[in-house]
Amino acid sequence: MILEARIAHSLGGFTLDVNLASRGPVLGVFGASGSGKSTLLHVIAGLIRPREADISIRTRTVCRKPGGTWAAPESRKLALVTQDPLLFPHLGVRGNLCYAPGARGEFESDTGQRARAVLRLDPMLNRRVANLSGGEKQRVALGRALLSRPELLLLDEPTSALDAQLARDVLSLLLRVKNELGVPMIFVTHRAPEIMALADDCAVLEAGKVVAQGPPVQVLARPRALGVANLVGVDNLLRLKLVRHDEPGGISILDLGGPQLAVPLCEAAQGEHVALGLYADEILLCLTAPPGLSARNAIAAVVAAVDEIGREMLVTLKAGQSVLKARITRAAAAELALEPGKPLVAVIKTSACHLLGA
Amino acid sequence: MLSEAEIEVVRLSALVAVLSVAASLLPGIAVGWLLARWNHAARALVHAAVMLPLVLPPVVTGYLLLELLGASGPLGRAWHAVTGGRIAYTTGAAVIAAAVVGFPLMVEGIRLSIAGVDRRLEDASRTLGRSRLQTFLRLTLPLSLPGVLAGAVLSFGRALGEFGATIVIAGNVEGETRTIPVAVYSLLHQPGGESAVWRLVAVSVAISMLALLLAFALARRQARRVEARP
Repeated sequence: MILEARIAHSLGGFTLDVNLASRGPVLGVFGASGSGKSTLLHVIAGLIRPREADISIRTRTVCRKPGGTWAAPESRKLALVTQDPLLFPHLGVRGNLCYAPGARGEFESDTGQRARAVLRLDPMLNRRVANLSGGEKQRVALGRALLSRPELLLLDEPTSALDAQLARDVLSLLLRVKNELGVPMIFVTHRAPEIMALADDCAVLEAGKVVAQGPPVQVLARPRALGVANLVGVDNLLRLKLVRHDEPGGISILDLGGPQLAVPLCEAAQGEHVALGLYADEILLCLTAPPGLSARNAIAAVVAAVDEIGREMLVTLKAGQSVLKARITRAAAAELALEPGKPLVAVIKTSACHLLGA
Repeated sequence: MLSEAEIEVVRLSALVAVLSVAASLLPGIAVGWLLARWNHAARALVHAAVMLPLVLPPVVTGYLLLELLGASGPLGRAWHAVTGGRIAYTTGAAVIAAAVVGFPLMVEGIRLSIAGVDRRLEDASRTLGRSRLQTFLRLTLPLSLPGVLAGAVLSFGRALGEFGATIVIAGNVEGETRTIPVAVYSLLHQPGGESAVWRLVAVSVAISMLALLLAFALARRQARRVEARP
């Protein structure tokens, strides 16, 4: 285990109550602002004294409350990189990089040289930190953290203050740090794709609680909690009444307000409402219902709107009382001659229907 | 030009002021840090106590010091028991008077410049493996140094002009406690002393003006230093 943390902390009206473990290498913590992500990292780093906690890094217990173990932040062998790079303004780039105890030696070592190469630090060693660009500052902050030889790197939204291009650049650097330098990380962000790219394991934090944890593909792409789906940005979030179960068939039938929708068998009772997430690119559009279909849903719908979004077309469909959004290529939209009012058949696999919180 | 006696007065004034600043610099940094970073209910009380000499009439401060350090005061008696000497009416007493009266200005300069250092920088230093003390010495102190020096210069200027407390605890001993203000006060009572008064006044104004200009320059530098953050 890289990290095991059980934390209960209240501050004002906010309560953080989490139980987290990371086998590494990278644990992504996903949540909106105000969900307690930063507080969590600050407690792990020892910058906030929690009301109750049991935190160990590798095999060292760094905090146990009540009980008494308390390791000061400087002895936890962590490094924290935040949204604001927090470079020391009275030191140059080299001074910042060599700030941690032992960093001067680490700077010249093989791992130090690899870190400097990955982060492209050598060309700016003699510059003043005030003259660096945002992306350069974040690279120096990362380098300074790595040269302190942390057993665990804590990253608190390190890309949030950067524009999209620089954010991608820093993310790819982090990926190289992970793969080439092998430093375990806890990476906190509100951007789901960054977790998908970097994390091996993901925890979703909402209002101070972990509402989901597991591999990112499962947790984020197949969200089971409504809050997670909202955060990730699922295209179709529906709340539909359950018509009946088909236990032998392994499906449940929901009412779209006319047409019916087959979804994976769930536990909700008949007549109850079920929340459902459905990605726009998992809906196929056909002019007529194809024969011999494995997908359980071939739903008659009418095109309500066709919008160009980047290189793709977002097709808004009306199916019964429900609205569905489907994403298709421009070529497909042209070939199907899509325009408002045109009748269509929407083909949806049962497994594409992600039941939320069910 | 200044007469030999006047040069002696200026020399003694500068010596007393420099010694008072030197003696109060370390305690000033400690108290300034405490007031900037210590979150405790008693902080306001400590702050008020430190500031007291700034608002008390200097004569009252001098009287309290005399009660403490005079021949019959507890510290004065203890000093006599150990060394056989006295504190009151010596250059040492003038230094103490100047230090006490200049202390609030020094602490305030230091407190403000330390409070202006972003605490998140200190947090970053801690997570990088530097202890509280190392963080103070390597980060907080260098970042607040111009402000610390500005506080020291201001307290130097205040020490140079100290009269009320000095006259009570240190008196008017030529070559030992007769600083510029004390000398000016004595000369005002002597017939024909006006020209000497004017010369000392000119020296006094010149040194004070230089000290203030230096303090302002340092304070501007402090502001730039703290703003240099992203």
